[in-house]
Amino acid sequence: MANMIENSQSSLGSSVAKFLREYYIYFVLVAVVVLLASANLDRFDLFERGNFLNERNIINILRISAPLLVICGAFTLLMVSGYIDLSVGSAMSLSAVVYAMLAINGVPFLPAFLITVCVGVLLGAINGFLVVRLKITPVIATLITLSLYKGVALLLVEDGVSAIKSSALAKMPKWFNDYGRDGTLLNLPAAFWMAVAVTVLLVIVQRRGVLGKYAAATGGNPTAAKLSGINTGRVVFLLYVLVGVTAALAGIARSSFMSLGDPLSGDGMELTTILVVLLGGTAFSGGEGKVLRSFCGALIIMSLTVGMLTIVPAYYQTLVLGAALLIAAASNHLVSRKGTS
Amino acid sequence: MSVHSDTFALELDGLSKEYPGVRAVDNVSFTVEKRTVHCLVGENGAGKSTLVKMLTGALRPTSGKIYVAGKNHTPTSPQEAREGGIATLFQELHVVDELSVIENLTLGMEKKRFGFFVKSDLEDRVVATLKAIEPSIDPTAPVSSLSVAQKQIIEIARAASSGADIIIMDEPTAALSEREVERLFGVIRRLRESDVTVIYISHKLDEIFELGDNVTVLRDGKHIVTKPLSQVNGRSELIELMIGRPVFQDYKPRTTVTDEVVLQASGLSNALLKDVSFDIKKGEIVGFYGLVGAGKTEIARAVFGADKYSGSIALNGKQVGHSPREAIAAGIALVPEERRTQGLFTSLSIRENIPVMNLPRMSAGGLYRSADEVSAAQEYVERLRIATSSIDKHTEKLSGGNQQKVVFAKCLFSQAELLLLDEPTRGVDVGAKTEIYEIIKNLADQGDAVAVFSSELEEVLGICDRIFLLFDGVVREELANGPNIDISHILNVVTGGGEAAVQ
Amino acid sequence: MTSVADFLPQKETGRRMSDESFITLLVVGVAIGLFLLASAVLPNFFQFQNLVNLVTNNWAVISLGIGVSFLLVSGNFDLSVGGVVALSGVLSVYFAQAVGGANPLSSGLGMPYVLAIICAMGGALAIGALNALFVVRFKIPSIIVTLGTMMVARGVAQVITHGSQRNTNLPDSFGFLGNLTMFGTSIKLPVVLMVVLLLVAVFIEKKMVFGRVTYWIGSNPVAATLSGINRGWHVTKLYLFSAAIAGAVGILLASEFKSGFSNRGLLMEFDALVIALLGGVAIAGGFGSVIGMFFGAIILAVVTSAATGLVLSPDWQFILKAIAVFLAIMAQTWALALRNR
Repeated sequence: MANMIENSQSSLGSSVAKFLREYYIYFVLVAVVVLLASANLDRFDLFERGNFLNERNIINILRISAPLLVICGAFTLLMVSGYIDLSVGSAMSLSAVVYAMLAINGVPFLPAFLITVCVGVLLGAINGFLVVRLKITPVIATLITLSLYKGVALLLVEDGVSAIKSSALAKMPKWFNDYGRDGTLLNLPAAFWMAVAVTVLLVIVQRRGVLGKYAAATGGNPTAAKLSGINTGRVVFLLYVLVGVTAALAGIARSSFMSLGDPLSGDGMELTTILVVLLGGTAFSGGEGKVLRSFCGALIIMSLTVGMLTIVPAYYQTLVLGAALLIAAASNHLVSRKGTS
Repeated sequence: MSVHSDTFALELDGLSKEYPGVRAVDNVSFTVEKRTVHCLVGENGAGKSTLVKMLTGALRPTSGKIYVAGKNHTPTSPQEAREGGIATLFQELHVVDELSVIENLTLGMEKKRFGFFVKSDLEDRVVATLKAIEPSIDPTAPVSSLSVAQKQIIEIARAASSGADIIIMDEPTAALSEREVERLFGVIRRLRESDVTVIYISHKLDEIFELGDNVTVLRDGKHIVTKPLSQVNGRSELIELMIGRPVFQDYKPRTTVTDEVVLQASGLSNALLKDVSFDIKKGEIVGFYGLVGAGKTEIARAVFGADKYSGSIALNGKQVGHSPREAIAAGIALVPEERRTQGLFTSLSIRENIPVMNLPRMSAGGLYRSADEVSAAQEYVERLRIATSSIDKHTEKLSGGNQQKVVFAKCLFSQAELLLLDEPTRGVDVGAKTEIYEIIKNLADQGDAVAVFSSELEEVLGICDRIFLLFDGVVREELANGPNIDISHILNVVTGGGEAAVQ
Repeated sequence: MTSVADFLPQKETGRRMSDESFITLLVVGVAIGLFLLASAVLPNFFQFQNLVNLVTNNWAVISLGIGVSFLLVSGNFDLSVGGVVALSGVLSVYFAQAVGGANPLSSGLGMPYVLAIICAMGGALAIGALNALFVVRFKIPSIIVTLGTMMVARGVAQVITHGSQRNTNLPDSFGFLGNLTMFGTSIKLPVVLMVVLLLVAVFIEKKMVFGRVTYWIGSNPVAATLSGINRGWHVTKLYLFSAAIAGAVGILLASEFKSGFSNRGLLMEFDALVIALLGGVAIAGGFGSVIGMFFGAIILAVVTSAATGLVLSPDWQFILKAIAVFLAIMAQTWALALRNR
């Protein structure tokens, strides 16, 4: 009995830390928005004059955020399972190029969309094959495919041209641009709603789905997972495919927003994604992490970057993102260590 | 075969496991009655763990058969064993800290459709099972918030609700406090009432008498006896059955033991140790004997500065620092418990392994003398008779005995005055064992002080001049080795028996 | 090619060649084989000058590869080197630029060149110290840490150069070091320094306690600590060592081009990692050699220059790198398995 009391006492102490770990991200998001909203942005000539909480400004941020928002959920699940994918940026670029090529060559929206998603499946499956089947360390395997996908994306674009875009010979169809820019519901584009839909789906998967729970088991205690009869290899493979699919969706969103298929458009995306996921409190050792928190992390980072653009020049961006990555990693680590031990 | 399938949960028929040169399990046959707690006892190396591994599908028997509830069932994987109704609690915990209690209980057994879980009676069932076993655990709590004992109960509940008829528990109390052990015993008794058969393995004889219905004694891989515990005449009979013969004792008092104290440890305490004090003299071999979890490794690591402790450790009157580096500099060397993970650089060659603990002897001004390394390696390979084709052989390709000799060479090269040997012959074949004993005796004869931390009684009795008996982090007794040493008394002390229990 | 044998560990009679020498020989063999193959296919490839160019064109990456290889052998990543190259170059320019230029990008701190170099090295070492702090102290995975510090280093460089470059108002002495030719040939000082560094590194690796300790730590960190090695301090020194090399490379590149460009050294961290992997350095730690890394660089150089010779578009380099690393990893695993069967 004494033991039980001891337990509840220690859990009382750690419950504060637990609460912080669970919900801090929402407070940070609110704090960032309040901070940016209270800053007087009148003197800056970006977007609409005036407040951060201006409708056009918010719509703009959410439009730009669509690729990151769509990718971060699946990436969270992959990291929860204890694995990592450094090739998401290149996969996104390659998908963007493929999508733009299909569009400019007269393929209608739906087939173009589906074919690009299939490309995402393939790219994810290649990663999964290298990691699960050939047992190459995830970092190296996805570094190989980072280079590979980027190379293929570059090759697909003709020499002497920087990206696939409208020219005198061929015009991009109108729908190409609409997906990422044109306001539908609440004046937000379809690409954003796609990101929301994917996130809702993944939140449900994490709460009720086989993949969500098995990912946590695989990352938390692989031996226990295997002893419980879980095919951890298949779980990891499926998660890589899922990340590939969302990378393709991100590529579609990005190319549509920019109305071109740029083979370099996804460069650095892997870093931003890792940053966002770590910011959301996902442990890099696996086991822990929530899709919704990463979604919030993405909103924070995008608000900060866009908000920052109104205050400081763009060339501060890399520094701030790098520093944020280090701080996120360090705080994440310190909190999780306190929580478990 | 089995005609008694209604009364026997498990039958072993002539089960054997052979390794090159060894029969770890030798033609073992016995039966386990349904609805009983069946205890399995034997000394280290008696074949218990090999037997359990065959039951759980981790190892395949060389010959023989296993019958579960009358049906032939020789599992090839833990998964198959579980499907056959055998669940196992291993010494290490296999729960997922990041999931909740109920998620852990249902892990791998859920009903699912299109990748999503569907409501079934499974959850109610596992919660009911958990409630029956231990009502105080909240099924929605995250497992990371539970104590070790509670996690163990989760594993038991999972095994029980997976429909296992037989649950094997391998030393389940090693990491538990006394109070937690009592709770666990309550759980086991309730399991028995609900038609589950428990195979219980423990070194702690008190537990066996308190809990068990029947007992099977193994010795040297052979089945000695299976009988109801009510027919066992106290601890002494069980101990006799386990030993079976006078312990092979070739201890000869050595003449080189001096009175000069090399190491003086007083009041060592940490998470496990409680006020441990002892001394080691020059030219002496001191043994620390106790069960798993009694504190042997912890003492060795504290003296070596690898773990935190309070208390004082002095070598030749001077305090020793709190890090392995300072301990080595002071003249202490440790052969760690886990050879592969703590002692050896497996991806490097024998030659490259030996000099690491004494870099000043190998270098001048940061420059490494490769020629000396070669001659040192050749010297130690010869001296310790390490069987290898070349000193450039990677140590991962050596046999266990030769690997252990390389770890010894590492420590000897440090020219330490005091050698701490933690399980020096674990996983080593008989021939190498004898050679290692010779090495240890030679070291002491040359004036080194040696401490042997071992869970093998024969080893301690064979070479140590003085023996400290440990139980639960406490030094219970100090004995001088000699022909009249009382073995059943030793076993009684280290299994937790008080003085009074000796008859 | 006679020098190759001298580099390799001396083989005594009756002693078996180590796996490491075996892999190094394999890498050397592949490098020579590829060179001969390329010579057979391409006209004018088989020339002494071409062979020299393979080395001299890659002096920067090979130099970085030395620090990266040492860290890999100790079981740690260093992906910050590319960022450090940009940072130290930009810093050296900024410190040396005269005070009071016409615009913000042409006025610096006006330090004497030597002092500017020393201060720029200080900046590089600060990044190394940051790596060590996060990896050793906070025990955060080195891949995350060094990705973060790479962004921080590059970010600082971008802030100083406003995202472009500084190249005006520099003292004449600034371009001296990077363009100094040696021994009356066209070989420049940086190349000579690289060769010296390579020899020193081989010496450290094979003949000094420091090299040995690196292998012990990488092979088994727990056993190294229990053998009395101060692991944290050693890894700290390795990160400082790697950052110092990257700092020097950055300063020399800035001198060579007489400019501090914030995007210099982009993706060099990946190239340094790639040549180490091609050269048989294992990311698991405890295995690999600087000589292997050097020949890994030669393999990559032959492959890319042969691709150029075959009139493949430069976009092929990413795909070729991916394939080369993949084949190298599979071949090494397979060769070792075969040898130790």
